Amino acid sequence: MFLRPRTLREAVEALAAPGVGILAGGTDFFPALGERKPAGAVLDLTAIPELRGIEIGPERIRIGAAASWTEVIRTPLPRAFDALKAAAREVGSVQIQNRATVAGNLCNASPAADGVPPLLALDAEIELLSVRGERRVPLGSFITGNRKTVRAPGEIVTAILVPRTIEGPSSFLKLGARRYLVISIAMVAAILEADTTGRVGQARVAVGSCSPVARRLAQLERDLVGAGLEEVGARVEPRHLDVLSPIDDLRGTAEYRRDAARTLVARALEAAAGGFLQ
Amino acid sequence: MPTVTMTVNGRAVSGEAEPRTLLVQFLRDTLGLTGTHIGCDTSQCGACVVHLDGLSVKSCSMLAVQAEGAAVTTIEGLSNGELQPMQAAFREHHGLQCGFCTPGMVMSAIDLVNQNPTPSEHDIREWLDGNICRCTGYHNIVKAIKAGAEAMAAGGKR
Ligand SMILES: Cc1cc2nc3c(=O)[nH]c(=O)nc-3n(C[C@H](O)[C@H](O)[C@H](O)COP(=O)(O)OP(=O)(O)OC[C@H]3O[C@@H](n4cnc5c(N)ncnc54)[C@H](O)[C@@H]3O)c2cc1C
Repeated sequence: MFLRPRTLREAVEALAAPGVGILAGGTDFFPALGERKPAGAVLDLTAIPELRGIEIGPERIRIGAAASWTEVIRTPLPRAFDALKAAAREVGSVQIQNRATVAGNLCNASPAADGVPPLLALDAEIELLSVRGERRVPLGSFITGNRKTVRAPGEIVTAILVPRTIEGPSSFLKLGARRYLVISIAMVAAILEADTTGRVGQARVAVGSCSPVARRLAQLERDLVGAGLEEVGARVEPRHLDVLSPIDDLRGTAEYRRDAARTLVARALEAAAGGFLQ
Repeated sequence: MPTVTMTVNGRAVSGEAEPRTLLVQFLRDTLGLTGTHIGCDTSQCGACVVHLDGLSVKSCSMLAVQAEGAAVTTIEGLSNGELQPMQAAFREHHGLQCGFCTPGMVMSAIDLVNQNPTPSEHDIREWLDGNICRCTGYHNIVKAIKAGAEAMAAGGKR
């Protein structure tokens, strides 16, 4: 059965039945099926106007669950979102970005999802709705493992909410086995805010593909406060990456990932710091 | 089986489609528009690129029923007797060898020129990251797109 409701109310009611799968841009959904057909009913979210668009408010920015990566790229957003925009340009190719949603990237919960580090660094929250009501969960606790989230079967992610609690330049760097259309071996998002003396007032750094769920580097973020903008890269030490748990797989060894991540973190911080000069 | 109605190449069409039918299967098998190719099963290769409401998409990564009410353009919809300038440029600059990737290349290229009428070589190469060609090494494709963009800007844009 294929359901394409026009309102959120109908969608959550349909989802209250067991065995209903959610479809957004379909760019993870279809490739994952291969030759099989969907196991149960499919609920398509792309015809629901309430889920569309990106709203820019004074306190927070709301990315609707049906917003595509192309919409993220084309919407004028504060520079703390430059990392998210850079990640958007890395998701597959233009045709994938035209269909694929940010919410789908998070719900799919791949350790290599390029949207996760920038949104973790932005302290994003996930808004969920079911017939029982609405709740919000920080992105850091929404994804719990490789392809695992706290989303209950009857819940739809309706939006990604980003509080405007940091203002400054940001960067995203991704390492893959080739330049384009590639699954990340490691990726890093960094945002820096300057204090009144021109030193680091607030820093946010997140690393993906080096643990089952992307991680913020909290100790590094604390150690960066007060640093001069020219020394942010040099402040990165191996111990700052201790929260990561990279694995050996066909894309790289754990040791390579750890080393690459450290280099990427330093470069991402330098790139973000460079943003103050522009 | 549900009936799907959409506009394809300017013509209103409707056809029966099982809900699991991909848009590309609907175009090829139900409508007989076999110019849109299927080159992989992972949405990577780009042979199946069509325009959906004016934007390029991979027609293997959406269902036909999701295109209900939408306007779809395939490679067959470009020419009105005469080749569309981008098609003509691919022929002129030999932007192909076996031709399997060509419909997708042309559809992607036209979307690029619609977004960015004067793309640089770098813009073109970057834009083509979702279109894979195993014959040409891309050089002539890039040349063709550059020439096609100029021809479209010169008034041949459709
Ligand atoms: C060729 C190709 C290249 C790719 N390259 C990259 C890449 O470089 N980086 C990267 O990170 N990803 C990549 N992807 C993966 C994919 O494009 C992204 O993860 C994308 O953002 C998924 O969004 P979607 O809307 O297509 O999700 P869908 O495929 O529609 O859904 C994905 C999952 O999320 C669930 N879901 C979707 N929306 C909701 C919602 N609102 N509420 C609850 N559950 C929901 C679905 O049930 C499904 O399980 C690539 C995919 C392809 C085909």
